[in-house]
Amino acid sequence: MSLSSGQTLTVGGQDLTKDGGGRAPWEDVKPSTPTRKPKTPKPQDAITIAVSARVLFNMEKEQQIYEQRGVEEYVKYQVEHETEPFSPGPAFSFVKALEAVNAQLRELYTDSEELFDVVLMTNNHAYVGLRLINTINHHQLFIERFCMTGGNSPIGYLKAYHANLYLSADPVKVREALEEGIAAATMFTPEKMKEVSETQLRVAFDGDAVLFSDESERIYKAHGLDKFFEHEKAHENKLLDHGPLKCFLEALGKLQKKFYGKGQRMDCPIRTYLVTARSAASSGTRALKTLRSWGLEIDEALFLAGAPKGPMLEKIRPHIFFDDQMFHVEGAAEMGTVACHVPYGIAQKVANKGTKDKETTSK
Amino acid sequence: MVTVNRLENSPVKNLQSFSMVSTVQNTDVKQKDADRAVVVAVTSRAVFESGAEDSDGVHGAGIAFPLLQAFQRVNERLLEENPAESLLFDVVLITTDSQQQQQSSRIISSTRQHGLEVSRLCFSSEEDFIESLLKNNVQLFLSTDRNETSQASQKGVLSALLDETAASCPSEQLRVLFCGDAVIRPDAGPTSASKRAAQSFSAQLGEMRRRFGVLDSPLSITLMTSGGGRESCGGALRTLRSLGVSADEAYCLAGAPRGPILSLLRHHFLLSDGLGAVED
Repeated sequence: MSLSSGQTLTVGGQDLTKDGGGRAPWEDVKPSTPTRKPKTPKPQDAITIAVSARVLFNMEKEQQIYEQRGVEEYVKYQVEHETEPFSPGPAFSFVKALEAVNAQLRELYTDSEELFDVVLMTNNHAYVGLRLINTINHHQLFIERFCMTGGNSPIGYLKAYHANLYLSADPVKVREALEEGIAAATMFTPEKMKEVSETQLRVAFDGDAVLFSDESERIYKAHGLDKFFEHEKAHENKLLDHGPLKCFLEALGKLQKKFYGKGQRMDCPIRTYLVTARSAASSGTRALKTLRSWGLEIDEALFLAGAPKGPMLEKIRPHIFFDDQMFHVEGAAEMGTVACHVPYGIAQKVANKGTKDKETTSK
Repeated sequence: MVTVNRLENSPVKNLQSFSMVSTVQNTDVKQKDADRAVVVAVTSRAVFESGAEDSDGVHGAGIAFPLLQAFQRVNERLLEENPAESLLFDVVLITTDSQQQQQSSRIISSTRQHGLEVSRLCFSSEEDFIESLLKNNVQLFLSTDRNETSQASQKGVLSALLDETAASCPSEQLRVLFCGDAVIRPDAGPTSASKRAAQSFSAQLGEMRRRFGVLDSPLSITLMTSGGGRESCGGALRTLRSLGVSADEAYCLAGAPRGPILSLLRHHFLLSDGLGAVED
């Protein structure tokens, strides 16, 4: 990706006040008048999204230096370039959209702490701290909390902040987080990012092994797509077990209801999508019934019956898409969607076995 | 009045008059360069578990034991980098408890038995221990007693309170936490002497840290700001840098509860604005 802060997207320098139709109080802030800044919500009330530095910003060049020349050179380079802000990374537009939702929530519920809270959770040493802070300032992001763990595991800190979602470029950390019951995904950078909405947050989820457990996925892997459809139809009234991102969908739903409460159902600033290989005719029912029994709503369910997800996602333009299969993550990224891999369930073991077979129907 | 006795096999005589401050040199340990060494005083109550002695009368390890080992580790590594290094930690034990004073010989033998690199042992009364600190040019005073650290702070000696968390900290790496919203208010603080003490210690710590690389350092410096947001933390990082201190880790809480984060940091002690009191 070669985005600089000058390119068009939803990034850098966009005045939120124009879009949200409301005030963005933090834009008036000088450090000497902290009372004018909106208060950061308490971790237990907020929906906390933890992002690593490498997904929030483009640090490809620096990452290369780290890999090729080692940590000392890397740190030296960072300090030397301290006043140069990083350009946006794949999570940037997602974070901007979260802030847009917050602005609208603050308009409607001035005292509520039920908001998104973005925490920068990085393994970097604090030597890189000032460059990261300078970059946050430059892009006018509202990130007030961070952990620079200097190489230590972020998992404890994720728990301390009650993180509802953790996004990182490092699959090892993501797996660790999932094992601890924290919704997490590895974020990839598309070659070219498609433009996304600045006012409406759009989040797309795969179904099996993301929102739901991988139980049905196992059937598909063992017996193929047709058997999978049959099995699902036969068990359509049996609820699926929950998957790692179910709670995050739930958290989004909680905020959506706040907008519905103020009459904003039709053009809610948060929109959710299910993008699944299940078929509307057969296996889709089980998925919808499960969601309903959980008390969760999804705004749009797209049943692809095995067709590729890329083109559909390109129409939807989500800020973020979660899938447990790298095949779909890559397919989505190729078409400009910011896609994240959830390394959960049976698909991971199968993926390790070899290359994808382009002849078989994708799920 | 300070008397210096050579450490012999015969035990030090029990002190009868508690208005006397006495210092015993530990001849097992090479004395440090008085001009360059960073003198750290730790109370023996923190280092040894009182009442817990083995059959030879040797005290068991107390809360501050891993801390002392960590100081030692830093010294070892500093000397590895440069055998002629003079910027080292100079650890002295200070005993104020009258009960412990009577067992001064036990403290001395426990120190030797555990192989602790303590250069001097100071014995004084509760009333005179500050005098002992000042006479020994102590730059950092560590105690489990809040009153003691508070008093020492007020007299301009940088102090920090030790608690149980220090006991579970690693001994291979000295972990120092700068807490602070206080760091960015260099003009706040009780006395200018206290401020100067904090700055001077910080600068020395920073210099020690620079002797090592980014990874595998025996000394780790963490900054945590609790109240303000990123500007607050950025300011604190800059202030530390102006003192020659580069933080390894930084945590900006922006009002989030401190407890959960503090318990993860595994710091041996915490420096706030020199008062030594840990706000909650």
